[in-house]
Amino acid sequence: MNTRPRASTRMRAVALAVALCAAIGSAVAQDAGKAIGNLFNSITRPSQSSQPGNPAGALGGLLGGGGSKAGVNPGELVQLLSQSGDNIDPAREAQIGKQLAAVLLGSKPLHPDMLLQRYVNQLGRWISLQSSRPDLHWTFAVLDDPGFNAFAAPGGYVFVTKGLIDRVPDEAELAGILAHEISHVTGRHHLKAMRKTARAGMLTQLVGSQLKNDIGGALSAQLLALGRDMYARGLDQEDEFEADRVAVALAARAGFDPYGLVSVLQHLRSAGADAHFTLTLSTHPPSQQRLDLIEKAMGNRLDGLAGLPSASVHQRLEQLMAAARRNQQAPRN
Amino acid sequence: MKRLGLLLLLSLAAPWAQAQSPSQVDTVLVKRAIELREVPGDSARSLGHLAAQTPLARLPERQGAWVQVRTAQGVTGWIHMFDIGASGGAKPSGNAAAGGGLGSLTSMFGKATGQPQGTSVATSTVGIRGLGAEDIARAQPNLGAVGQVDAMRLDAAQAREFAAAAGLNAYAVPALPTPARPKPAAGQRGGPGNPQEAP
Repeated sequence: MNTRPRASTRMRAVALAVALCAAIGSAVAQDAGKAIGNLFNSITRPSQSSQPGNPAGALGGLLGGGGSKAGVNPGELVQLLSQSGDNIDPAREAQIGKQLAAVLLGSKPLHPDMLLQRYVNQLGRWISLQSSRPDLHWTFAVLDDPGFNAFAAPGGYVFVTKGLIDRVPDEAELAGILAHEISHVTGRHHLKAMRKTARAGMLTQLVGSQLKNDIGGALSAQLLALGRDMYARGLDQEDEFEADRVAVALAARAGFDPYGLVSVLQHLRSAGADAHFTLTLSTHPPSQQRLDLIEKAMGNRLDGLAGLPSASVHQRLEQLMAAARRNQQAPRN
Repeated sequence: MKRLGLLLLLSLAAPWAQAQSPSQVDTVLVKRAIELREVPGDSARSLGHLAAQTPLARLPERQGAWVQVRTAQGVTGWIHMFDIGASGGAKPSGNAAAGGGLGSLTSMFGKATGQPQGTSVATSTVGIRGLGAEDIARAQPNLGAVGQVDAMRLDAAQAREFAAAAGLNAYAVPALPTPARPKPAAGQRGGPGNPQEAP
């Protein structure tokens, strides 16, 4: 909202971006310059559509910043992608998250079991309440896919696949996975990864190869390209290690056995040959390395909380179904 | 023998095992010399010494940090999860362990799987592939589905209600320390290195 005092920061960011472009090979720099130019044109052009369902419209609003209707500052995107992720204001973070959630939901449909969807929201929301950002609009969903995977998007979207739900033996393990994804959001790791790609001058190549899929105009193509690239390649390794570490403490805070995530990683390590795990494994550091680092961080300091009884996911769903049935049968007054 | 059969049956009935090919029982290697414990815990009675690199069958039972395992001699006991190392060359019985399967995916970290590089194709799971990079590359944004997901969002009070019914309590747990790294942390520079490397 209050961008005026940051004007000099923005100028510096623009200068930095220009310097970066110049530093990269001249062919790339030219392309990158052209792409950013196109992008700026599309930002400054008044948006034709302001329907909420239109990605270009939504993103136009996003880049326009809160409340500033007249004209969008061309420096905004460069600033957005160049500045530290910590400085992106929560409203924009949420809007970027919504766009990226739309990409993930475009790849696989929602699972039709609403009881399961509600359960994952109950569990995830409870864990998120113990996180460093309890007030985000935390939203959880199960994608109808047999693979084993979990994703998150800025602003508080967390997705797990049905194949993952079917394979985690108990709630503590599912809690560990959700806590890991929640920690990526609280750490703003997605924004960081996208910023890195944008700054490396790779945006142009990505957009060039994806432009034919574009439905929302050049502007949203930029974000789509960055988002798709991020989910296919994964986040920074160090951020994966950090998310593991934060997740172990977070799950313990929420009353779960802190060894749930460790157990998941043990299984992942043995599952390397399984095609269900391909994307999970290719986008994450080796499980053994993650386990070694968690061991160093944990030692035995959480063993007092280890071995808390944990329901199986199946048992929990049965309980919730029984409770829902009781509510339905209860006489209404 | 009867007991062994029962254990085998149990391992097949576990959700994790069920979702995978029935012949797949995880074979793990002991990371360092330890004792096989009769029940979970460092002070539990020892059932015998396990040298480093001893292969064990991991059974589905877990209690906190402890998992149940079975030795090649058929002795069943418990070991701490952190005492399990990479499964190395030991192949699970009956499962043609295939490396790779990642050919279509390039990672900026290289092939960050820690799996032996191989070109064979997984036999048990051919034709069933989960959400992959191709799906995401092809995905057209579905803002309508985002609206559906947003409608499922719960508030803090609803989450607390669930926790209370599930017997979940919040605990004060300090953040874990960042462990010192053998190499200076430098983003993704150089990739993960050799995952088999001993720390």
